[in-house]
Amino acid sequence: MAGLAESLYIQQLVELLAVVSSSTDETSAVQNAVERSAQALEAEVAAVVFDGKVTASIGFPPGAVPHEDIVAVTLRQRSELDVPGLGSCPAVTASWAGSNPGHLVLARWDAPFRIEEQNLVRGMARVLELTLTMLRTLAAEHSIRQSLEQRQRLLEHLFTIQRAISRREDLQQILDTITIGARDLLGDEIGLLWVRDEPTSSQVRLAAAAGTRPVEPADRPVVDLADASVAGEAIVTDQVVVRHGQAAQSRMLKLLGPDGVHASMAAPVHDSGAVTGALVVASCDADRIYSPADEQTLRAFAENVSLALTDAATVVRMRLAHHDSLTGLPSRRLFLEQLAQQLAVVEADGSALAVLFLDLDRFKDINDSLGHAAGDQLLTVTADRVTAQLRSGDAASRFGGDEFAVMLSRVDGPGDATAVASRIGDALGKPMRVAQRRLRVGVSIGIALSTAAGNDPAELVARADLAMYEAKRRGTGGYAIYDASLPGHGTVPAAHH
Amino acid sequence: MQISDRESHDRRWMGVGRSSQPDSRAAAAEAVRTAQTGPDPKLLVVFAAITHDAAAVLAGVADAAPGVPVIGCTTHGEIGPGGPADGTVTVAALGGVGLEVSTCVAEDVTGRQADAGYEVAGCVGRVELPHRVLMLLTDGLVRDQESIVRGCYRALGAGVPLFGGAAADGWRMSGAYLFKDGQVLTNAVIGAAIASEAPIAVGVSHGWCTVGQPMIVTRAADGRVLTLDDRPALDVYLERLDAPPEAYTDPAAFTAFALSRPLGVQRRSGVEARNLSTEVDLEGRSIGGGGAIDPGGLTWVMTGDEQSILDATDSACQDALDRLEGQEPIGMLTFSCAALRAVLGDDGIQREGERLDRWAGSIPYAGFYTYGEIARNHGIDGFHNQTLAVLALS
Repeated sequence: MAGLAESLYIQQLVELLAVVSSSTDETSAVQNAVERSAQALEAEVAAVVFDGKVTASIGFPPGAVPHEDIVAVTLRQRSELDVPGLGSCPAVTASWAGSNPGHLVLARWDAPFRIEEQNLVRGMARVLELTLTMLRTLAAEHSIRQSLEQRQRLLEHLFTIQRAISRREDLQQILDTITIGARDLLGDEIGLLWVRDEPTSSQVRLAAAAGTRPVEPADRPVVDLADASVAGEAIVTDQVVVRHGQAAQSRMLKLLGPDGVHASMAAPVHDSGAVTGALVVASCDADRIYSPADEQTLRAFAENVSLALTDAATVVRMRLAHHDSLTGLPSRRLFLEQLAQQLAVVEADGSALAVLFLDLDRFKDINDSLGHAAGDQLLTVTADRVTAQLRSGDAASRFGGDEFAVMLSRVDGPGDATAVASRIGDALGKPMRVAQRRLRVGVSIGIALSTAAGNDPAELVARADLAMYEAKRRGTGGYAIYDASLPGHGTVPAAHH
Repeated sequence: MQISDRESHDRRWMGVGRSSQPDSRAAAAEAVRTAQTGPDPKLLVVFAAITHDAAAVLAGVADAAPGVPVIGCTTHGEIGPGGPADGTVTVAALGGVGLEVSTCVAEDVTGRQADAGYEVAGCVGRVELPHRVLMLLTDGLVRDQESIVRGCYRALGAGVPLFGGAAADGWRMSGAYLFKDGQVLTNAVIGAAIASEAPIAVGVSHGWCTVGQPMIVTRAADGRVLTLDDRPALDVYLERLDAPPEAYTDPAAFTAFALSRPLGVQRRSGVEARNLSTEVDLEGRSIGGGGAIDPGGLTWVMTGDEQSILDATDSACQDALDRLEGQEPIGMLTFSCAALRAVLGDDGIQREGERLDRWAGSIPYAGFYTYGEIARNHGIDGFHNQTLAVLALS
């Protein structure tokens, strides 16, 4: 289930857009935005401020709204709001520009807003801006019917993107979907997505392209910001940039696209709050003029790219948190989760599993005499040799230092487990080439088998750990099995090498 | 020691009484007398089986406790010590100088749910003791109960926890009743501001787990989900759960199947369960129940079993008792979902009752099986489906 929470942010933005943009007047759009944003972030307080005045709020009884404090949050003079009955609550704010600039403020008891949530609030402010612009300009310029159709098309594209993100589809597919979506939604020929690889890089890479001549992933151009035309300018200024006529042309568009681009527009894309790229659309229609509503639509789309990127970055971070960075093996926490899952399986079908606890002999000596780099290399080789002995369904983990744990997902009895322990001992006992030397490393292995019912993952590991000490006490390179029926540490000697 | 216990009991007390007499008036009077275990009664909360004559119940209450404020409702089963029961009148009484209560009612709720919620929240302004909660009893057959809760929040802000339940009618779905002093009401909301010199706390929990991949609400209207992942919502939901063929065509089979398989709606702090079993739409192939689910919503099919539901019983009780800031509880109100009752079965609800007994220990508790639970500590939402909501008083 972990990881799904991240796709929540885009869901919440789409939900907000769906609800707020169905409002028929500005007052209800603003009130809806206030309540929906509080709901999405499980915040107690939300408010919208126009021209230094709170025009809508929730979380304070009418007549007790602290207008000045809320305005102070928009000016970044305060970062908390006092909420009667709760006390001081961390607050967050985001602003929008356009024809009716304003601020959204949220405050939540207990939990400060995380960076992803601050992104979401920024996205919500954009949604409100988009809606207010739609209500003002679209309703005036076109019929209501047209504006509803435009909203429906935007929502449909956003659903597609949201679905891709929530299902953890490949990031490239998500970026392609967004780029094609932006192009289709605005009815243009070309869609491009430029992304910086590093937050401060002066170069951008073409991350996705639609409507251009085919570009192989390996041949995607990397250009200086200055050569990226509207995209570069949008990244530098953090604003939507629009070009018509000759100014819309660029060397890069000539290279990528069909001839004769007559209009182009770029909106900045953010990752965790920093500008990280730009979403571009371009048209070959000589009469194409981008309206303020088109700018808002592209911004809304770019905001979704931002969330997708933040989301993908989160996936990478999560993987790091769950895996040992040196060996790539699952962390202790992830191992215990895997163990708990497998215990439920074997308890249900009446079989058993085994946990092996491994501790390298004399690792500290090697680390001290040959250095950390050699120690790291030794651990990497060890991880590879241990995993080579496992079947699919088994799992290995590095617990830290020179300690490893192995789960044998299904064993018929102690004999199976000691056979694997013996194989691991043999595999690790073969010479390793580390720091221009041939080293032989011994390992002590403790074995614990699951019982018929009521197994606790941490307890099972602790038993294997106890048995490992028993093995170590008897001399290096051996293994021992935990046996609860015996006194003392409850271990019996198994075979020694 | 005896005396000081007595004195502290008399400052704030709760008592529970129950009668299974078939005569409505006599049953109510008996339950009220048993519940009145202290001086200066401030509020009687009456839970009556739908099989009782509501007017006679209120007459019996007035016989036994003339002049004491009364709120209450009909049920899908009454919860109390000795286990859940059907056909009874079960009464919780609150009193003592350390408690303060103000009640009010809003009528003609349909179509103006939020305004009705805003109105009943007004009673909170009439109590002064520092620890306050607004208890709500709603008509379970009125739609969009969330808006009632939202209206209360608009009036009160973040500082007042909300607790309550929706009146039930024993699955007849023809009419549930609310009680306010001598009146029997439908299409109404009752508010009771309860204030105390000691902490009052709300807890809530559900026991469902998500299954498989999430589904996105791609079209929704009028509080119903029309499509999930661009296909008719009802079919997507049933296919995901490998439903038997009759659930696709027979309303009763759909209801029976959906009762134990709510739709989960993703929220920041977890997945919220929504009961789909009561608003069946086999023609339009849409799904709905228990409040709006918006386009873009991330949803799941969910399942649970007795064990997970009973675990939730534990966590709701623990949640409420933990929030009492270390004070000794004097009693609990426990509102459990009528749909959970269907999942647990008659034996299962006895085990639910045993769990509640264990948490209550020597303190009294009472409640009912509802058509929706209300519990809000944080955030702006507080209407739930398929949960146990607990109010603990100290």
